[in-house]
Amino acid sequence: MLKKVFSWVDERFPLDEMIKHELTEYPVPRNLNYMWSFGFLAMFVLVVQLLSGIFLAMHYKADVNMAFDSIQHIMRDVNYGWLIRYLHSTGASAFFAVIFIHIGRTLYYGSYRRPRELLWWTGLVLLLLLMATAFMGYLLPWGQMSFWGAQVITALFGVTPFIGEEVVIWLRGDFVVGDATLTRFFALHYLFPFIITVAVAIHLVALHWVKSSNPSGITLHAKDNIPFHPYFTIKDLFGLGVFLIIFFGFVFFSPEFWIMPENNVPADPMVTPPHIVPEWYFLPFYAILRSIPDPMGGVVAMAMSILIFLAMPWLDRSNVPGGAKFRPGYRVMIYVWFLDLMLLGYVGAQAPEGIFILLGRIATFIYFGLFLLLPFISRREERRSREEGLPREAERLIREEQEELLRSEHYLRRENDEKELRDIRKRLEDES
Amino acid sequence: MRKLLVLLSAVAMSVVAQGAMASAAGALKMVEIDNSEQARQRGVEIVVSTCMMCHSLKYIKFSDLTEIGMTKEQINNLLEDQDINDRMMSLTPVEVRKESYGKVPPDLSVMAIARKKGPQHIYTLLTDYYYNEEEETDNHLFPGIKMPDALAYADAESDEERAEIEAQAHDVASFLVWAADPSAESRRTIGTYVIIYLIILTALLYLLKRRIWGKIH
Repeated sequence: MLKKVFSWVDERFPLDEMIKHELTEYPVPRNLNYMWSFGFLAMFVLVVQLLSGIFLAMHYKADVNMAFDSIQHIMRDVNYGWLIRYLHSTGASAFFAVIFIHIGRTLYYGSYRRPRELLWWTGLVLLLLLMATAFMGYLLPWGQMSFWGAQVITALFGVTPFIGEEVVIWLRGDFVVGDATLTRFFALHYLFPFIITVAVAIHLVALHWVKSSNPSGITLHAKDNIPFHPYFTIKDLFGLGVFLIIFFGFVFFSPEFWIMPENNVPADPMVTPPHIVPEWYFLPFYAILRSIPDPMGGVVAMAMSILIFLAMPWLDRSNVPGGAKFRPGYRVMIYVWFLDLMLLGYVGAQAPEGIFILLGRIATFIYFGLFLLLPFISRREERRSREEGLPREAERLIREEQEELLRSEHYLRRENDEKELRDIRKRLEDES
Repeated sequence: MRKLLVLLSAVAMSVVAQGAMASAAGALKMVEIDNSEQARQRGVEIVVSTCMMCHSLKYIKFSDLTEIGMTKEQINNLLEDQDINDRMMSLTPVEVRKESYGKVPPDLSVMAIARKKGPQHIYTLLTDYYYNEEEETDNHLFPGIKMPDALAYADAESDEERAEIEAQAHDVASFLVWAADPSAESRRTIGTYVIIYLIILTALLYLLKRRIWGKIH
């Protein structure tokens, strides 16, 4: 019976084809480590946020006089409202934690490199969408930090040349953050996740075209690929189990850990908090913003701190394939960069006084300095590894990759690649 | 190892950030909060008789107090003009309170989570009153506070008296901790089952993973 139903569907819709192509016959490098589970986890958290968010929206009131009260209504009167709300508030932090690890993995293992540039860019667009969504969602509880955070961040758009003031008013719908701002942020906070969902679909289409990278950063031989299902479905599910233990640990035992106490005070436009701090996931970028003495410069630097990642595939000039594993210079650079990001996060949480101003400037300088140094580091590193020879393992993997290129369908399609391909073929023939 | 480092650093970043924010809280008296129903019940009596002269707890109804083990009768004894289904609002008119303090004293329903180390903050504030040089009460934690020395800590003359007021402040904090998050207990109970379930599920998934991957090693 079931078989009949499926064959009826298959005649009209490529269901069987899709399951084969995306799951049971989708080839994945067998050497992936658990760092490769975080994309799946991010998708899982997106679903958690969508579902909990829809239920929150059923009870939430986007009105400056009712928003704060309606959160308490959800916490106290709605059946399991506290669970829905804590899932959503903890989920926001979990989303960024997972995404940051996902991006860190991409950088460390060089997954942004050819042919995955478009995959990388769609991912960065997703990060920007996520940040916008989180920022707008943070206004909705209408606490002190919600209000003043929105006030500060919308004011940043005032640096737009000539029409700055108009842009700020246009964004807020008022001269200050108020009812108009709250309702539009609510509307957009509800809309954006669906845009994110579409962007995720595009991200996945790009992924399934170029396939996953792997810890060596070098394309593996076809025989070293295994089907996604069952091997990676079970691996990701186990990863999900570990993630859920930590996630629910926070949801049930320390949910307020992720909520600033100041935000449990209702918004008051007449009382400025002594110290306006964004959520932890914005801290490094906030630190960069404040490190530049000029407001315009600060906003540009903050925007650049993320947009500069778009240029990674070009800044990295090395022709040595792979990620940090076979690239000593790049490896040091990426570790320094991780540490610097944490320093920026720490500085971002402090009041901008005394030593923290200096620390913030140094960390900002290192942050951008590393990006600008990357072309030189990568070139030098390539020269050195050509002189000294690559590790045997890398040599072998690169040879296998070249063999693989001869067979692959959509790699190296450009004109000069045809030539490159002929060279590879010739070299392989010579060697054998 | 490397994976662990990256994972840990992400967690560390947030912990450092939160910790850095918490350290700004100043010299709080780090008392342990008593989660017993008795402490909460003693606390609510002080809150209703003293704090609610000026403060409200608008998110809590008197009838909700059955959740901390009070009987209808006990709750009725707390009431003055209110009904048991009313919210716990101060009976002093808003205008009077506004005139006395310059603004309406803040609602206390979520006070225990609206300050860094909220419970300790409440306890310290109530027991930090003293007489300054002008023979007026002031507060070490919150210099220049408008709120009067509600528990008369500055007037206490002996250690016993001070200990008694400290116990009262402790009970007030206990009650306000419950008030800020009435679902905390059921949350932790459900949470324990959820975590146990997840640990078993994850262990089984791990075994299944080993079994499936065993085929290709």
